Amino acid sequence: MMSPPKKDNVFRALDRKLGAVTEFTMRQYRTKLSTWVILGVGFIAISIVVLFYVDSMQQEIEAIDNDGDSADWDGDGYPTGQERIYGTDPENPESHPGTFTPPIAPDAPEKWINEDDFDWDLAASGDTTAGYDDDGDCRLADSTQSQKDNNRNNIECDIILDYDEMRGEWSEPNSDRLVDEDPDEEKYAKEAIHRAFLLAIGKMGFVFLLGIFLPLFLATGLIREEMDNSTIHFMLAKPIARRDIFLGRIVGYLGIVWPYIIAMGAIVGIISGFAGPGESLFRFADLGMWMAIIFATMLATLVYGMLFCALGTLWKRGIILALPFAAWELGMAILSFNAPTSSILRFSVIGWSLNIIDAASLVVWPNMALFISMGMWGGGYGGGGYGGGGRWDNSLEGAGALSAFASDTGLGISPIATIVVSTLVLLFQAAILWLVGSAIFKGKEIE
Amino acid sequence: MMPDLQQVGEGETQQWAPNITAPVVLLENVSKSYGKIHALSEITLALSGGVTGILGSNGAGKSTLFNLLMGKLKPSSGSIKLFGTDPWKNPAPYARVGFVPEHEKMHDWMTAHGFVSLFARLNGLTREEAKSEADRVLNFVGLTDVAHKQLGRYSKGMRQRVKIAHALVNDPELIVLDEPLQGCDPLARTTIMNVIRELGKMGRTVLVSSHILHEIERITEQIVILHNGRLLALGNLHTIREKMDNIPHTISIGCENPKELAKDIINNDAVYGISFPSGDRLQIQTHNLNAVHRELPALIVANGHKVSSIDNPDDDLESILKYLTGGLAR
Amino acid sequence: MSEDEEITPHPQPLAQTQSQPIAIAPQLPIPSTPLQVQPVQPVQQIQPVATDDVQMATAETPVTGQARMDTAWGSSEGDEDISEMASIGQTDSGEIFKQNYEPWKGELNPRWMRNWAILRHHILGIFKKGHRPWGIPTRIFLVLVFFASLSDAALTLLSSLIGDSEFHSMWGVNRDNLYGHVLGFFPRNVMYYPIVAALLVGGVISEDRLHGTSALYFSRPINRFDYIGMKYASVAFIQAIIIILTLFLYYLTEIMVFGRGWAWIVDTFPIFLGALMGGILLIITYTSIGLALSSVSKGKFFPGIGLLAIILGTKTLAIIVKNLFDREILYLLSPYDCLAHVGQTLVRTQPTYDQYSWTWSLASLIVMNAIALYVLSSRVSSMEVTRE
Repeated sequence: MMSPPKKDNVFRALDRKLGAVTEFTMRQYRTKLSTWVILGVGFIAISIVVLFYVDSMQQEIEAIDNDGDSADWDGDGYPTGQERIYGTDPENPESHPGTFTPPIAPDAPEKWINEDDFDWDLAASGDTTAGYDDDGDCRLADSTQSQKDNNRNNIECDIILDYDEMRGEWSEPNSDRLVDEDPDEEKYAKEAIHRAFLLAIGKMGFVFLLGIFLPLFLATGLIREEMDNSTIHFMLAKPIARRDIFLGRIVGYLGIVWPYIIAMGAIVGIISGFAGPGESLFRFADLGMWMAIIFATMLATLVYGMLFCALGTLWKRGIILALPFAAWELGMAILSFNAPTSSILRFSVIGWSLNIIDAASLVVWPNMALFISMGMWGGGYGGGGYGGGGRWDNSLEGAGALSAFASDTGLGISPIATIVVSTLVLLFQAAILWLVGSAIFKGKEIE
Repeated sequence: MMPDLQQVGEGETQQWAPNITAPVVLLENVSKSYGKIHALSEITLALSGGVTGILGSNGAGKSTLFNLLMGKLKPSSGSIKLFGTDPWKNPAPYARVGFVPEHEKMHDWMTAHGFVSLFARLNGLTREEAKSEADRVLNFVGLTDVAHKQLGRYSKGMRQRVKIAHALVNDPELIVLDEPLQGCDPLARTTIMNVIRELGKMGRTVLVSSHILHEIERITEQIVILHNGRLLALGNLHTIREKMDNIPHTISIGCENPKELAKDIINNDAVYGISFPSGDRLQIQTHNLNAVHRELPALIVANGHKVSSIDNPDDDLESILKYLTGGLAR
Repeated sequence: MSEDEEITPHPQPLAQTQSQPIAIAPQLPIPSTPLQVQPVQPVQQIQPVATDDVQMATAETPVTGQARMDTAWGSSEGDEDISEMASIGQTDSGEIFKQNYEPWKGELNPRWMRNWAILRHHILGIFKKGHRPWGIPTRIFLVLVFFASLSDAALTLLSSLIGDSEFHSMWGVNRDNLYGHVLGFFPRNVMYYPIVAALLVGGVISEDRLHGTSALYFSRPINRFDYIGMKYASVAFIQAIIIILTLFLYYLTEIMVFGRGWAWIVDTFPIFLGALMGGILLIITYTSIGLALSSVSKGKFFPGIGLLAIILGTKTLAIIVKNLFDREILYLLSPYDCLAHVGQTLVRTQPTYDQYSWTWSLASLIVMNAIALYVLSSRVSSMEVTRE
């Protein structure tokens, strides 16, 4: 006989029923081949990109002697740079430091490649002066003060970095001649490519590809398939509101997708932490980026899951409706790369998710803008002379890729605030979609 | 049902309480139409307690009626109340309802025990309660030994029993079965019919639908006849048949010497026609079955006729329907 | 219970009569006590009972399928009747019915005719009722893409009308434009042609598996190779109309509108052939992959979406890798890029893939097609004809 109903509070009763739906959903996913195929394909796709990344991190990047001072112009066995430092004439074979007492041994040419690297305080903000002429071809040159101070800031041999408040970006560095003109390509490129990879895989790989395709294939059929199979009757003729069934199904879907994302993010994060450039064994600072990437993807899959499930419930061919959404989100993703401040992005899901990643990148790498500017500039031959007016592209390898994938958050508030705001907006979107989806479900007549 | 976040500690839920004075199932002027097709028209019905058979030929609206009761469809007009509550708006009455749907698609990867216990939890039972209840009901329908096999390997009859078990797990007061005997082997049929009768005796309200009169007859005598979406007859089957006193009944008797038997029975006032379809068969047309059947045994025995069979070939749903609808094609 | 209301053919609903549980079972008109009957002699023959609609099998009438069907479905009494039939014939005698099986001595129509029927069924379904029902969105999209593919022919026509030679050099027939017609221009390469392929392959085999209609094919003298072959051919044919026919029309428009002579034709024909072959390769590749997906899935949409995901997803991945690491090798995994590379070589336009030779792309295409066809053939040959 029926026992008298227990006095339990709202949470326990709800939890039992919701819990049952969730558990059922997760078990159901595990038995379906399509789940494993989709997760597997995602894993393979991300792995391929990671392999390329690891490979490129191992690669040697050619060190270029930008200022040509490792060459021995006069054939006396001493590199030009060395001759310049010691004040001998680089074009006179007779004049070299070997004639000094005591004689100075000739340097290996490699010493004079990448010798004048960037000496910028990357934590700088606002207008500042930077750069130090390591190889002395500006400082120790036999020239007038005005020749050493092309940028007219009364400091010899320096670089003016000018932060444009209006446009929110750094202007082209204004360098005195021959300052920081032989930068270390490999060091810069590795760091730039590493950061670009994190951003690219985080934004395009995780948030866009995983964030859209996982819900597209896994969430659209959550209610729809049960309706088509008539097995939803077993859930409906029960004292549980349809809204809760909807929620339970989504939570079950998240129970499969979220651990997958966390695991994938952790794996790729650890790999990139070890393989990344830098002196330390493991780049701990990047973990912040990975946490942001995982978090943004989790939120994106939540919102898209609600959306696609609602579309599937609405219409038997709901998956067709999902495609324009995916196309719209792709357009928004591209827009966020190019014009992050545009307000249309507010009307998308991916705009907010990408915001989280961008904001995190500003926290983890606060010098990003300056770093990109550095790379795009590529080395100071200074105003006038060659490298002056019609400048060719002197940018360092990796700078272009990084500038393509990095962007500002466009909200105009601090990064932490951006993350909080974006999270709240995404949760709000998810809640609205939940209510809309369950309203659709509630009004559905099922034969 | 968003949890009230202000609640602290052991709150009491707003328990839905069934309306005791209302009948278990109440339909008031319920109609359901799909565009131009009227699946149900103006059904008014109140059911409480015991087994009721819902009869109708295919397409009469039985499944529609059940779908309306189970909150899967919304009535185009009229109101439906289960235990006094509208099921479309409030799913709480389903705590006391068990539904056995007609189709047989179930999740083939689940075991019977898993299936019953998991969906039992949707009624609010805890995991342990659900497991023990599942054991109980599977025992009740006789599936204990195969309870841990996957549903994909079950036969049709076994699946039917699993569905019934799943409907009974929350000890419901209203049990609705949509064509439960369809496609069942004889053993399963007997089991299911017994189960239904038992439930009726326990005081539960059971609704069974079928298009086969003989099946229903073995289970219950309270019937509802639907035809073309309308309520055609309601009440005790035999009373209804008695009321149809103008319906011509045929009694077909197989015997050795039909002409002799005919001579004896023709004096009965109730008999208005006799025919001899073949050399050993006698057909009696009568308006009053009872009268003829009362006399017949005595006559046969008294005169020593050798009778091999007696039956009423038109005692079926179709002839009842034909009579009740005046034979009008619709 | 209310006894005073009449039951009429149009009944008024009775009042609530069902508040009581089952009372005592009233007197049944049919005697439930066993009749006292004499032991009967077995009835020699099973006679038909005099009701209109129940046909019974007798010893004289042959046990035909029709009779069985009627018995099963004709009366609404279901299997009760069958048992009654059996019980009426309580007889000691039995009868065996002589079966005469005769082989069919007719002539089967030639194989190509059967195959042609399948092909026709699929192709005519696009615009005629009574054939394979392609969905309305599919048909509309096919028509739209067909006209969109004619856009360059239309622009050529336009350029002759306005007589602007610069316009003509932009849109008229030349190497780049012939290549572009098949593999190039923006919306076509990423959106139109892949989506056309996706829509067409979507349900072709999977619907048969879902609804069990493959039984309609395999219960007839059609072997599995023909089955896939004709479905493949029909999908390829429809794509060919959209891609290749429009290519022809484009070429023809130029010839007719500008009055091109044989010299010009001889000059440009190799290019045209190259573009044609590129188009054929495209159709073959998309169809193979799509049909392989369709044979694996049971849904109507997932094969199509899967095809789009493969084409666009691999392309996106390859672009990301190229932008990040400047390595083009991943293009070998993307069917579109392999086709484009091979197409560029065939038409001899400027290759945009310069890190590796076109033979790699061709090899990759062959491998992709081989895998897809292998999956397709193994799935279809092992497909069970019942509803799985």
